[in-house]
Amino acid sequence: MTAITTTALGRVFDTRTGVVRRKKKEIVALREVEFQVEQGELFGLLGPNGAGKTTLTKILSTILLPTSGRAHVLGFDVIDEARRLRPRIGIVFGGERGLYWRLSGRDTLLYFADLYHVPPKVAARRIPELLELVGLSDREEERVEGYSRGMKQRLHIARGLINDPEVLFLDEPTIGLDPVAAREVRRIIRDLSSEGKTIFLTSHYMYEIDELCDRVAVLNRGEVLTVDTPSALKRLVADLEVVEIEVLGARQPALDSLRAHEKVAALRVEAREQAQVLLIQAPGAAGLVGEFIGLLDGAQVRSVITRQPTLEDAYVRLVGPEAMKA
Amino acid sequence: MNLNHTLRALWGSFREQATSRATDNFFIGTLFIQPVLMTLLSVGIYIYGGRPDFGLYAVIGAGMIGIWNNNLWTSGSIVQDERRGGTLELLVAAPTSLEVILLGKSLSNAIASLLALAITFATGTIVYRLPLDIENPWAFLGALLLTLVAMTMLGLVIGSLFVLARAAGNLSTVLNYPIFILSGLTFPLTILPIWLRPLSFSLAPTWANMALARSAGVLADASIALSYLALIGLSVAYFVLGHYLYRWIERIVRQRGGLEQW
Repeated sequence: MTAITTTALGRVFDTRTGVVRRKKKEIVALREVEFQVEQGELFGLLGPNGAGKTTLTKILSTILLPTSGRAHVLGFDVIDEARRLRPRIGIVFGGERGLYWRLSGRDTLLYFADLYHVPPKVAARRIPELLELVGLSDREEERVEGYSRGMKQRLHIARGLINDPEVLFLDEPTIGLDPVAAREVRRIIRDLSSEGKTIFLTSHYMYEIDELCDRVAVLNRGEVLTVDTPSALKRLVADLEVVEIEVLGARQPALDSLRAHEKVAALRVEAREQAQVLLIQAPGAAGLVGEFIGLLDGAQVRSVITRQPTLEDAYVRLVGPEAMKA
Repeated sequence: MNLNHTLRALWGSFREQATSRATDNFFIGTLFIQPVLMTLLSVGIYIYGGRPDFGLYAVIGAGMIGIWNNNLWTSGSIVQDERRGGTLELLVAAPTSLEVILLGKSLSNAIASLLALAITFATGTIVYRLPLDIENPWAFLGALLLTLVAMTMLGLVIGSLFVLARAAGNLSTVLNYPIFILSGLTFPLTILPIWLRPLSFSLAPTWANMALARSAGVLADASIALSYLALIGLSVAYFVLGHYLYRWIERIVRQRGGLEQW
């Protein structure tokens, strides 16, 4: 059965520029978005910053209205049937905001249990269970303001589960977390998925989506480019190899030459402290390393790694290297 | 939504607001310090101006200023705080309507603000040795109860403005002193121009002050019954206005977005 359906979903924001001569400007956040999520599926939404992930999540979770198209969650229209839908979904945003810092972890859950009409007896049983699930049982009486970032994020997840939702929306749930805290959050998401919950996860961390999701929609500039399994997406770049060259002082003309190389399918440049890392996708790239270094016009090469393509490489191929800078 | 759900959501919102405020040193400081200062000033003006018989009137007026201020500031800051803390979106996404949530919080503020009156009475007695005999204690208690209801409903209406506008915090500052004067909290209404009276009579603090002062034995020309009726009428009007405002606002904020901005 289908948990989420969108049909030609669009959202335009009005903004104004200038002070005296104010001009209205329209920003298209989503255009003609269409996909379906099955019940029990862990569905990922991947996209660079500003791609429209949060806007889409807010529309599906009834916080925002679309300006065109329709969306249904659990069969309810998110525009007209929001009140009937809300008790059956949960929403979790990443980051430290969205919590009452002066309340304890336990009181936070108690408050949202009241707002979500959870019967007191059920809440009395569920709150300790949720605190146990997210590993906050021993800190439940402490005020949220004293929690670490990871603890706050785990409390967010517990709050999102207070009504035992059928569909859980997770918007960048590991953003800003250290690797250990992020791994713990991913463990919780996996556990929830194995319990049969439908999870809609947005992230711009490719390995997270690759590791967790059954299927992925790739969103760029408000448009869905493709919807498929992570392994199918990786097959898009199966014919390629990836070379990562860490260099100091590679100039633009050298990068242009590299990009123009007949075998290079994509070149992405990342900053790593004072160095640049050139990520080159090309068929048989391992055998072309010498040629690539020759084109760098004397820039100091610090290391070279050859590897198989990942979901991130497939993603770069889909959205283009420029989108990664957004 | 059934009544049981509504009452539990009201209680939950009341409890959250009370807990958050009880641990907020700034709020506690404001709640205690301002009524003391206002009593010292207001009562002092009358006593040193040769009208000690207006002492009790000034004590009640200073208490109402504290009540009004706490309602205005805290009702405004509820929404500002929710917006700043990123929780406003979560409240909109919850099955409970925003109106019920803010009503619970506004009630919590109104009850806390009644402390201001106790503080002004204590200050008047201790500092100026004022005989603070309440002529009709039951009528005074009734006036207090109706004040509580009216201020809760007014808080609901004020809160709605803060949902719509990020800059509404400035409104608190702008509305502060004009309301003191318009409501007769510092000087009797009779010294205001007649053309301002309709505005005065549309404000709950005016009638609350009148009901409290008359039942305490001052403002002999005021009518307790009329003040009671006006407070009930205004409470109903504020509630109806708030109800429709929130229905409209919930739609508007979903259309506009930007609830996370502050």
